[in-house]
Amino acid sequence: MAEIKGYNMPDELYYHEEHSWARVEGTKVTVGMTDMFQKEAGDIVFVDLPEEEDDVSQGETCGKIQSRKWIGKLVAPVSGEITEINEELEEDTSLINSDPYGEGWILVIEAEDEDDLQSQLGNLIHGDAVPAFVDQEIARTEEERAKAE
Amino acid sequence: MSKEWRLFKNLTRSVSTAEGLAVDDTLPQSVAHHNSPPILHLYTFVPSVNVGKYQDIEAALRIDRCKARGIEYNRRSTGGGTVIMGPEIVALGLGINVDYPGLKKGVGGVFESLSRVLIRALHAVGIEAYFQPKNDLEVNGKKIAGLSAASEADTCLLFHTSLLVDFDIALMTDIMNTPVIKLADKGYNCFSQRMTTVRNELGRNLSVAEMIEAIQTAFESEFAIRFKEDSPDEWEEKTIRRFIEERYTKDEWIFSHRHPRARMGVGQLKTQGGLLEIYLSLSGGSIENVLVTGDFFSTSEDLHKIENALKWTSARKESIEKNIASVWHDEMIYGVDVSTLTDAILLAKQNQVRL
Repeated sequence: MAEIKGYNMPDELYYHEEHSWARVEGTKVTVGMTDMFQKEAGDIVFVDLPEEEDDVSQGETCGKIQSRKWIGKLVAPVSGEITEINEELEEDTSLINSDPYGEGWILVIEAEDEDDLQSQLGNLIHGDAVPAFVDQEIARTEEERAKAE
Repeated sequence: MSKEWRLFKNLTRSVSTAEGLAVDDTLPQSVAHHNSPPILHLYTFVPSVNVGKYQDIEAALRIDRCKARGIEYNRRSTGGGTVIMGPEIVALGLGINVDYPGLKKGVGGVFESLSRVLIRALHAVGIEAYFQPKNDLEVNGKKIAGLSAASEADTCLLFHTSLLVDFDIALMTDIMNTPVIKLADKGYNCFSQRMTTVRNELGRNLSVAEMIEAIQTAFESEFAIRFKEDSPDEWEEKTIRRFIEERYTKDEWIFSHRHPRARMGVGQLKTQGGLLEIYLSLSGGSIENVLVTGDFFSTSEDLHKIENALKWTSARKESIEKNIASVWHDEMIYGVDVSTLTDAILLAKQNQVRL
């Protein structure tokens, strides 16, 4: 588990700039929201999920996440068919806050083709690029905060 | 030269829920896909009530009472709870890119940035309001405006506010299905202690038009922009019509079942400080609303602070405790401590029933 500036960003995961993460096992991709997202958003109160068997494309908004009175987006990090939804979230959305990379997983996407999946992963943030992504997100927030004050 | 934003201002008539909400939904679409600068929509609704996108409307409202009173009901596309609207309540819709300079980033940041504008507007008419994290504006511990938002097209968001110029508490208690309604006279007391209006604070009849003017000016100062009064163009008119036809006049949208289960519970706990009586509305695993009442000593400002810290947070014990502790000070409720108050809330949770 890599901790960067107070946020857990596990090394093995791929990150979309809209803060969804992807855990890849062959063509099976488990998706959730980052620790940075859940810390920023606060308590998640509802997740509006797509149906199993829906097709999604990389970068497409495939769900909505409500924290307090804000409704944010769940963006599909890769393309494929949704094969599994985390039903535990129906009863307890706080799993996204308490365990964003474990019990708080949101859905599973099955990619059609492994080569195609590999090329899509190239569009995501991974490995050495993650610290810079976190820095950039923190800087964006701080810069605007400073401007506003 | 300052930047120009568009202003859709409607002072001539109060609009239906379908029309007002459809125009609002068009704002972020237009900014994202139609090359529009930010658009501010200032208007009023006919007497009506709207619920949050993920609220159970049948649990939140007494639909039969709305019908009997001729109160329109609908579902908006932003988050949060039930909002009463009408000709004396300013409705504000804003479509803006989240990366707009001067807009603080992130969920909390956007709410804070936009609340500054409203604080400035209220200051201009003589009211000192402040931001009550995460989503309200208050005056002396009483709510005067509520804020909600949704991230919509691309990086553009829709931001909603309702600002109470005047308010009919009797109407609210009649049409809303909140736990306190079960005890009518207590209900009045609870709401009047927790809400206020522009006219109440000023002690005079400030017009809705004057309030709208103040909000417009506050936006211009806060973001160093000027407004061009405008109306929807052809593309926008078409989008508005589509939202009216496909969303705001459709039962599938208004009575949507995409929401967490709504439950409510009442808990009574005898303590050294007196009787604690808790009214709790739950939305799935989260607290949608909580009212702390009883015969203890405290101030309405302190109680409101506690209630606010718990709204839209997890109903787990450790979360309740943590959130109360985050605002707690000594003798906030005389003779009661954080863990006793947590126990009373958990008792209400234990007594929950489905609405």
